[in-house]
Amino acid sequence: MQALDTKDLDVQPNFTKKLDIMRLLGHLCQELDLTDSQIESAKSSYEAVGQWLSESGLPELRSAIIYAQGSTALGTTNRPIRGNEFDVDLVHHLPGVTTNTDPATVKRLIGARLSEHEHYRSILEEKQRCWRLNYAGQYHLDITPSIMNPSCSNGGELVPDRKLRQWKATNPKGYLRWFETHAAIEPQFVAAFTEARARAEVQPFPEPEEKKGLLRRTIQICKRHRDIYFSTRTQDLAPVSIVITTLTAKSYAHCVNTGIYISEIDLLIDVIRTMPMFIQMEDQSGRPYYLIPNETTEGENFADKWNVDSRLPVAFFEWHRGLTDILGGIEGQRGLDIMGNTLSAGFGEAVVKPAVARFVGNVSAARSADQLSIMPGVGLASSAVGVRVQRNTFFGQ
Amino acid sequence: MASYHRQKLTAAQQYWVLQRNPVCCGSGRLHCGKLVWEFEVTPTPISRTYRLRIEYQQGATPAVVVVEPDLSVLAEGRALPHVYEQHPARLCLYLPKAREWTSEVIIATSIVPWAYLWLFYFEEWLLSNEWKGGGEHPKATDDRKHKKNLSN
Repeated sequence: MQALDTKDLDVQPNFTKKLDIMRLLGHLCQELDLTDSQIESAKSSYEAVGQWLSESGLPELRSAIIYAQGSTALGTTNRPIRGNEFDVDLVHHLPGVTTNTDPATVKRLIGARLSEHEHYRSILEEKQRCWRLNYAGQYHLDITPSIMNPSCSNGGELVPDRKLRQWKATNPKGYLRWFETHAAIEPQFVAAFTEARARAEVQPFPEPEEKKGLLRRTIQICKRHRDIYFSTRTQDLAPVSIVITTLTAKSYAHCVNTGIYISEIDLLIDVIRTMPMFIQMEDQSGRPYYLIPNETTEGENFADKWNVDSRLPVAFFEWHRGLTDILGGIEGQRGLDIMGNTLSAGFGEAVVKPAVARFVGNVSAARSADQLSIMPGVGLASSAVGVRVQRNTFFGQ
Repeated sequence: MASYHRQKLTAAQQYWVLQRNPVCCGSGRLHCGKLVWEFEVTPTPISRTYRLRIEYQQGATPAVVVVEPDLSVLAEGRALPHVYEQHPARLCLYLPKAREWTSEVIIATSIVPWAYLWLFYFEEWLLSNEWKGGGEHPKATDDRKHKKNLSN
């Protein structure tokens, strides 16, 4: 047994707890992620569709390019709550078409071209503003036509409105750039946390490599909570992903630019808590007018539907309170089962139980490798320091 | 320091180590070859804190009981896994026939860490109803045989 210095007993357990909770949420996000092969498969499918569309003889479809937008492009896709297929949002950009052609015609031309392909015809479904290709058991490809927006100096595009009569402004590429800039901002933590994180005593199990970054993980957590929350409520009132994504990104940038945080979980909770600050509200003749502008193009308000259906902002604030209540209370909880139940209520047993199993699996793996020890002030650890846990077999009924 | 000595350890020797080991800080008493040691265990910072009591009569086997909280209440009526007794919960921490613990083994560096591990898996069992810590189940005679062997 390695000699233990009394200063080791002063290890700050709250850092370890914060890291453990973050690690548990990280495992939760791993359960939400698509696999690399799912992503690859979707990509090769939509590239093939793009190829088919571009080989059409129609002048409107000449030089068209297909690319991903939404969560697929941003890296915030969650496994779907029900069923097996995840959504892949695609833009089919047509440089050869101007606003002189109405959206209904453009949409019809794309549908016609897709129908010329025997396989695509068999899996084609018409949606309000796009065409859907159903790859059963895998994913849907949702293809929305877009044209250039000559009024936008930021490379924005135009997509069909709901009635397919007019073109409305959007900017998927600009939004992606805007989002990636926000996601790349590195947060700062107090020196004590950064140092403690590196020390084995506080970080008893190695952190899994984080490729997505805190902003994407926060968005995934918000979206998952939304999916579970509205699965027992009116689905139509669920805040749309672009609203959640935009508010979270703005909140993240604000928080990391104005604060130094004790730890990652504190930052994550604060980002979520601060989201509503970025909903602009004006009073218009006694009625609230909500605005969450797309900063990358003029004329797109992500909250436009909130000004048509007043149940939507109410639903947003109630959902938001539900999420902040869960996360706000988590650090005060004692007991892996208690924490697991709280997280299950918010995020669904289907992802929380496997996440807890992975968390426990870290201990089991260290145990199998004879690398498990008990560190004073910390507990079970994969470490050479502390009292080694020797081989044992639990017995009893 | 290895946990195995050639000599059987006395209760006093076991008590001495329990008093000094920082992973089982607590209090107890030693009298006529019998020790009682009570200490708190928090398996990980996310876990609860449990109060345990070890009773060891020299020549017998150490008994580890969870004093607080009541595990049966936490289990909401389910039978606890890997215990010798349900109430109070007396934990099964090792396989007697494999001699994972014998009287040459230091309690503080064997039984105590195994208690941490048991409680850790216990909390996951509360959630999933699956015991992830592995283990075996006894035939009815095993516990009595083990105690008999140690007293020889």
